[in-house]
Amino acid sequence: MAEKVKQVAENRQKKQGSLSKYIAKGPIDIPFFGALMAVVAIGLIMLFSASYTYSYYNRDSSYSIIVRQLIYDAIGIAIMIFVSKMNSNVFRYIAAISTPIAYVLLIAVLFWPEYKAGFKRWIWFKSFTFQPSEIAKIALVLTLALLLEKNRNVTIGKVPSELKLSKKIYELTEGKFTIYKSFTYLIGYGILIVFYIGLIYAEHHVSGTILVALLSLVMLYLGEVKKGWFYLAIGVIAIGVIFIIANPSFLANYASERITAWLDKDYDPMGARWQTNNALYAIGSGGFTGTGLTFSKQKHLYVSEPQNDFIFSIVCEELGFVGAVLIILLFAYLIYRAIKIGQRANDRFSAMLAMGIAFQVGIQVALNIAVVSDLIPNTGISLPFFSAGGTSAVLLFAEMGMILSISRTSRIKG
Amino acid sequence: MNKRVTKELKSRSLIAFGILCLALVVVIGNLFWVSVIHGEEYKLKAERQQLSDTVLTARRGCIYDSNMKVLAQSASAYLVYINPSKILSDEQKKLVVDGLVDILELDEETVEAKASKENSSYEKIIGQINQNKRDQLREYISDHSKEKLNEIIGIDADTKRYYPLDSFASTVIGFTGSGDTGLSGLELYYNEDLTGSSGRSISAKNARAQTMESDYEQLFEPTDGYSLVLTIDEVIQYYLEQQLGQAIEETGAKYAYGIVMDVETGAILGMSTMPDYNLNAPYKIATNSVLEAINELETDEEKAQATSDAQFAQWRNRAVSDSFEPGSTFKLFVAAAGLEEGLITDQSTYTCTSALQIANYTYHCYHSTAHGVQSLHQALPNSCNTFFITLGQNLGKDKFFKYFEAFGFTQKTGIDLPAEASPVENTTYHGLSKLGKVQLASSSFGQSFQITPIQLVTAVASFANEGKLMTPYLVAKVVDSEGNLISETTPTVKRQVVSKSTADTIASLMEEVVISGTAKNAYVSGYHVCGKTGTSDKLTSEGQVLASFVGFAPKDNPKIAVLITIDEPQVYGASTGGSAAAPVAGRVFETILQYMNVDPEYEDSESSASSASVPNLVGKTPAEAKNAVSNYSVHIVGEGEEVVSQVPAPGQAIEKGGVIVLYTSDDAERLTGEVPDLSGLTVSDAKRIAISAGFNIKITGLTQSSNDAISYKQSVEAGSKAELGSSLTVYFKSTDALAD
Repeated sequence: MAEKVKQVAENRQKKQGSLSKYIAKGPIDIPFFGALMAVVAIGLIMLFSASYTYSYYNRDSSYSIIVRQLIYDAIGIAIMIFVSKMNSNVFRYIAAISTPIAYVLLIAVLFWPEYKAGFKRWIWFKSFTFQPSEIAKIALVLTLALLLEKNRNVTIGKVPSELKLSKKIYELTEGKFTIYKSFTYLIGYGILIVFYIGLIYAEHHVSGTILVALLSLVMLYLGEVKKGWFYLAIGVIAIGVIFIIANPSFLANYASERITAWLDKDYDPMGARWQTNNALYAIGSGGFTGTGLTFSKQKHLYVSEPQNDFIFSIVCEELGFVGAVLIILLFAYLIYRAIKIGQRANDRFSAMLAMGIAFQVGIQVALNIAVVSDLIPNTGISLPFFSAGGTSAVLLFAEMGMILSISRTSRIKG
Repeated sequence: MNKRVTKELKSRSLIAFGILCLALVVVIGNLFWVSVIHGEEYKLKAERQQLSDTVLTARRGCIYDSNMKVLAQSASAYLVYINPSKILSDEQKKLVVDGLVDILELDEETVEAKASKENSSYEKIIGQINQNKRDQLREYISDHSKEKLNEIIGIDADTKRYYPLDSFASTVIGFTGSGDTGLSGLELYYNEDLTGSSGRSISAKNARAQTMESDYEQLFEPTDGYSLVLTIDEVIQYYLEQQLGQAIEETGAKYAYGIVMDVETGAILGMSTMPDYNLNAPYKIATNSVLEAINELETDEEKAQATSDAQFAQWRNRAVSDSFEPGSTFKLFVAAAGLEEGLITDQSTYTCTSALQIANYTYHCYHSTAHGVQSLHQALPNSCNTFFITLGQNLGKDKFFKYFEAFGFTQKTGIDLPAEASPVENTTYHGLSKLGKVQLASSSFGQSFQITPIQLVTAVASFANEGKLMTPYLVAKVVDSEGNLISETTPTVKRQVVSKSTADTIASLMEEVVISGTAKNAYVSGYHVCGKTGTSDKLTSEGQVLASFVGFAPKDNPKIAVLITIDEPQVYGASTGGSAAAPVAGRVFETILQYMNVDPEYEDSESSASSASVPNLVGKTPAEAKNAVSNYSVHIVGEGEEVVSQVPAPGQAIEKGGVIVLYTSDDAERLTGEVPDLSGLTVSDAKRIAISAGFNIKITGLTQSSNDAISYKQSVEAGSKAELGSSLTVYFKSTDALAD
């Protein structure tokens, strides 16, 4: 009898489990959610302030950009809530298929691009366009999180590779040179990453390339790849950066000119440096305390497209250095909280996913502000939750949904 | 497989976060560098491109004549500029340049050069274009909105000074230059009143050079300039200019200038220097002969210099800016001084022996033969030099200088015009200390010192104004843009120079000069013109003279004083004030006094010699009519029973024995005839020839009793057709040398 009851209960549990396997339970992390909502609200307010003049002159009305963004954000938040109800099992499935999908889209965009000023970044899909490189970022994080979780033992272990080539090398060098399994796996990740980087670079999307490269490094680092490789990577990157700065012509024209314009502050003020100069004028006009919300003058068509990549210059002008720092700190807190959620996650996949997303946002924030304030050459990189945009907003919110989902099962105390 | 989060992952995630934070710290540091440390510098650069400080030009006031006829006004005009930095392609540039060159008729190279300044965001193309051009340009811009010409070409408000009557009173009114600033004449003298105060609009402009928002705008409204109401009367000025222009044609003079002054107030009713220039194109050389002479010069430098000289020459208001030796006209003041001081009466006599020794100099009278015994009544009409030298010596230098000063010859008249020639002691005239016997002698007949035309006419006008010297003025009223009176000029009596009786005596003497003396060519029947002529050698050009007439009319109730100066007349033997200037003055008096509705008062001798009015003959039978006007030359046209119309019309005055044409039917063809050449004839010959040709004659310009008069001009051109019985006005002048 008791057996039977147990059976029924198990069956019920199994039945429920068939659904509950995919549903995340537990409360979301309120501090993260609060910080996120604060960022989104500030972002929207600043977007409205920064965009209405541009919108007035270039769109139907002063409100057209902000209204579109509100719709995107609303859709994004709905998706975020939906995603936050899923658990990591769902994310594992997605992770498993994410790279093939990303590759297909990245290749497709090369053949059927929707041109925007010569950059093959957008794909036309039904009546809207989107950037496959946005999908590539999350796909990379998902894939690497999955692989690095699974292969941790290999990664940290010191097992010789069993590949024929490795054995042959071992034989040929008479045992002096052992190829470890961890190295061959690393080569595997490298190939995966290089495909991402190569395809995005083929879109003439330098900032996306840099972002993906940095994100890959972070993921590999979180995946406990031996530290020595990172010293090597940092060394190689440093040499590469120095080489490119010294020989900008090594890159394609559109990219090399931006490096020239970054190095020579007087270069083509009406052209290549117009945007950067006007961003600096805006930041300078803001000074320590800013001109006050809505009182930017530089947004009056001086800073070109103030609603996009250069929105932070208007933020600096209106809210000043103080406002800018508070917003950066808010971002830092958001990232920190996501890392915390990751640290308390049930599994390493979830942990690395949450952290990867967090670092993606963090790297983007740092690069964007560095560009706006002329710290690095001008590359088109948007500011999460601030810059106008459809794909990126929806995907960002979906990613936030993943973090929220993970937070439901993580065990943060306080 | 263990999926638990490892310690290593936790610590690595913190290290990675640490690195990110480090990056953010660097970013924040850089922001601090840009916004706080170098903030002001960038802010300045930002403001330089954002702020637009526009001057709102006040509309310049108008200039009206005494009857509120507009002589100068500021019309709305427009200024075109481009923003070359917005030109992104060669096609755009071509569209911009082609459009501007075509519509605004500009030089292609200049526009192209401006459009090529790709770092500039403002290049002025042209100012003061009219509304029509602006509309054309606007249409062109909107036609090419695809090419975004609206971001490149801009149009702003500007003002344009416009002179509806072109050259009318040009040397008096003057013109404006860039920024609507007066450069000469009244435009310069009253520049401050006319200009008003400009406003300012400080606003932020966006990158397309449009105004950002009203929030940033600070507006200081402009106050429009005041308008001037002149004492100049359009009609009087017109007559004066017309006569001066004719005088130049007739005498081949270089310049002719004249002033018409209200004797009671000193108000200038007309003032002109001919040839003049077009106020709407002041830099254009208006006189063709001058232009041709310039074009014949060889080098560009010479041409440029000559052009510049010619421009200044044509802008010069010679009636106030030139000074000259007055010559015989000055004798009036010596006579007045003598009378006022009681040294002589109009009956005192002196014997002219034709030559007079003063110190080491011998002075001669113009006449080679002596004038003999004469009083002022002869000396002034004869313009006897020795008479006035003697009078001057008798006056002595103190009294002479006292009157010289009193008549205002040592000071500017203070007329409200720029560039009035300034008398300089011992340079333009002899100061008291330097006034020796010789200087006194030459000064007594108007030589060895210089005065301006405006000084002369103002001084002479005092004889017509009970001896009171007035300050001449041109602006009667200043009104604001709404017509409210701002200020009004009240006539200013400078001083009582001589007594009323002295003034009246001089006036009578001056009438005698016109009736029988050197100024007889200024005679106008019925208007009792008083005047005096002068001829003086020009100090600047050898052998050239300056012929002048100054006078006023009518004698008993003087209205206007007139000065006419003919500068370098080229008529052999007749380049004197009496021959060259007086006839012009006569015509000026006649037309202007008629316009002013001054009733002529004919002397008996004048009315008897002249005609009676034609009686009304309409309705009479031809026989009756012929009977009624038996002493006229009557022509009857048609076979009708009675007269239905007549030429001249009833009531019109014609010479006795003149022509009357009577028509007895309405459809009878009007009789016409060829106008005869009536020049170079005596009065009686002219009359005879005119009447035999079937025309009546109206004699003007000279007393009819004068028997040395010769006709020199007629109202209807010889050889042309005119209706029989109509009147031809024929001008006469004296053939005397009229040496003064």
